[in-house]
Amino acid sequence: MHPRDRATRWVKSGLAAAPAPLREPRSGSPQLDLQPPPDEAPLADAAELWLALHLPALCLEAVRPQAPSAEVAAAGPPWAVLDAGTGRQRLIAVDAAARRHSVEAGMSLSSALAICPSLQARVRDPRCERLRLLALAEAGLGVTPRVSLEPPDAVLLEVRGSLKLFGGVEALCERVRLAARQLGLTLRMAMAPTPLAALAGARTAAGFLVRHEAQLVSQIAPLPLSALRWPEQTIDRLAVMGVRTLGEALRLPRGGFARRFGRESLAALDRLVGREREPRRAFVPRQRFRARCDPAYELSNHEVMLRYCQPLLADLEQFLRSRQSAITALRCRLRHRPPLVATRVELRLATPEFEAARFAALLAEHLARLPLPGPVRRIELRSGELVALAPEREGPGAGSGSLWRPGEHGGAVGRETPALLERLRARLGTEAVYGLCLVPEHRPEACWRIAEPAMMLSSRSASGPTASPAAAPAAAPAAAMTALHRPLWLLQQPEPLPRGLTGLQRLRGPERIESGWWDGHDVARDYYVVSDPQGAELWVFRERQPPQRWFIHGLFG
Amino acid sequence: MSSQASDRSLLDLLQHPAIWRGRSHAAFATLSTGYPALDDCLPGGGWPRAGLVEILTPRYGAGELRLLVPALAKLTQLAPPRWLAWIAPPFEPFAPALAQSGIAIERQLVVRTETALWAMEQALGSGACDAALAWPRRAQMRSIRRLQIATERGHTLGFLFRELTSARESSPAGLRLVFEPQPRGARLTFLKSRGGARGTFDLSWIPEGNRGQA
Repeated sequence: MHPRDRATRWVKSGLAAAPAPLREPRSGSPQLDLQPPPDEAPLADAAELWLALHLPALCLEAVRPQAPSAEVAAAGPPWAVLDAGTGRQRLIAVDAAARRHSVEAGMSLSSALAICPSLQARVRDPRCERLRLLALAEAGLGVTPRVSLEPPDAVLLEVRGSLKLFGGVEALCERVRLAARQLGLTLRMAMAPTPLAALAGARTAAGFLVRHEAQLVSQIAPLPLSALRWPEQTIDRLAVMGVRTLGEALRLPRGGFARRFGRESLAALDRLVGREREPRRAFVPRQRFRARCDPAYELSNHEVMLRYCQPLLADLEQFLRSRQSAITALRCRLRHRPPLVATRVELRLATPEFEAARFAALLAEHLARLPLPGPVRRIELRSGELVALAPEREGPGAGSGSLWRPGEHGGAVGRETPALLERLRARLGTEAVYGLCLVPEHRPEACWRIAEPAMMLSSRSASGPTASPAAAPAAAPAAAMTALHRPLWLLQQPEPLPRGLTGLQRLRGPERIESGWWDGHDVARDYYVVSDPQGAELWVFRERQPPQRWFIHGLFG
Repeated sequence: MSSQASDRSLLDLLQHPAIWRGRSHAAFATLSTGYPALDDCLPGGGWPRAGLVEILTPRYGAGELRLLVPALAKLTQLAPPRWLAWIAPPFEPFAPALAQSGIAIERQLVVRTETALWAMEQALGSGACDAALAWPRRAQMRSIRRLQIATERGHTLGFLFRELTSARESSPAGLRLVFEPQPRGARLTFLKSRGGARGTFDLSWIPEGNRGQA
């Protein structure tokens, strides 16, 4: 059936629905009407229920610094926002404190300042508003997976499936309200089976709640036409016709309405009452974290800088937690006054991490040893790629959720292992921390080398049949060398034996090591184990080539 | 009969956990040193499993490491693998010799730093190391106390090597001993040993043939 053919029938049904036993939306109360209607019928699964979050004071809240509480905000100076586009400096929004000083939206800045000299006025910041809206949408993802943006000042949540989980409309709305309060945003909420009706309710009425499509038409009928945000011209023409509310507009004949005000307006009315489905674009959260902060003054102290980073890192943790992800790289950029280039710090983590405290600890180490060319004006944080966080890692060397402390009753090593490595390297430099590995070689200098410390320690020892890959070639020479007598300490460079040294006693030797002709570092030495008068054992050698000098190469410490 | 009964009641009384007797061995986990004669002198019969041990030597590389090798080898065979940290060692730990002594090479972590005490505290407190050995330039009593606390936090055995001159300073380490090399052995002097033996102890190295098994 074509909608137009249905027009009269629908109008009748809309009227017929009106006398149904309904709770009138309370106009004075800021709360939603929370009691479900007594005649609640079981709903079809397909039925949607949209919660609209309208931000009436967004442009003000975006520019005003966040106050810790409403009382503090009330005690602060009055705030107002100026229109950015036009050359005339007119106020477009004022807060309650400014209103007490009789400052109203629409005034010019000069007259407002004449009335209230302490007025704080800022130019509107659409970018900031957009960021706040995105933050609210992300918070909305904590309630439902179906979130949709309605720029510039509203977010829509489809909450039919979430009502039961969160314990009903009241609890769910309270949750959303709390999340918004943490973001420093004032909300007006409305619930309706169609997105547009919910939006219209949130914009114009306080406590608008319709749970059933059958009650929708009668509930939205008294709302003013401005709720749909139609062009002013359209609204004016309708007003001339005596049409001021949505209900009056819905009662107009469809054909004539479409001719006079366009099919788009008619389609909007259809979407409003649910005769036409409204597909909403789903909100997709960001996949990279980016945040910045502009301190009130230029920073040159590392500790103060870190304090400014803390809220950013807390946001980052929230960001990662809500995505059940972690990151292995975090870039921090410290911007200076223009001629100076920005200082960059890059945190590299051995394992994926999401906790703010750990980022802060690493950042502190990095900042502490960072030379700054000048004071810092802005701090920016960017995350690397997100890594999905497995709920609980398994196997040796992982799973820090162990009941026991590491090393106790077989408690596994968890995140402590890479954490230690990161902390040491952040402060001392990467090359200052290293592991060891064996090389099948005869020359003492070449039979071992520095290796990257093993992140996942194998539970078997090097002498075991299958050790870690780095130690695998080591097993054979280790077995072959058990017969040899090697010192525990090796000097970085062989040191010439002091000439006056006497009283050395030979314990072993000579052992000839003659090797390495292929790489230019060939050695030809006779090694001896000697004990000095104090009882310490030394590993000394004598060059076979003239001048046949003596060297100390190791200590049997 | 009555004297026996009173003896028993005295023994019962002494079992009370609030009563601490000077010579009694504290009940804490220990790790054999690999030298049975030395184990008998130490409280609990070995190195503490978690605690700070201070070893004072006239010079580094005189044999003090050989004293620890059997215990370190045993530590690196333990089931949850953890690191053995070398903080600011005076020379390079020679990997072939360590492997020969049964120490797992892939579990070694060498840290080159001027701030040895800070790194030591990190290693001890992190819980990622079975044992940590440090050779700090200077050590103040307060920072040693921090190390002692860190060993308990991370359940780690810490060895702090210091110069002989620091024997006069007091130290919060649970076990302090002086190591002096001797031909084919060493002389240990216990400066502080809670509930252990006092005085000196002459140690002779395990014969070479048995080193692998030690």
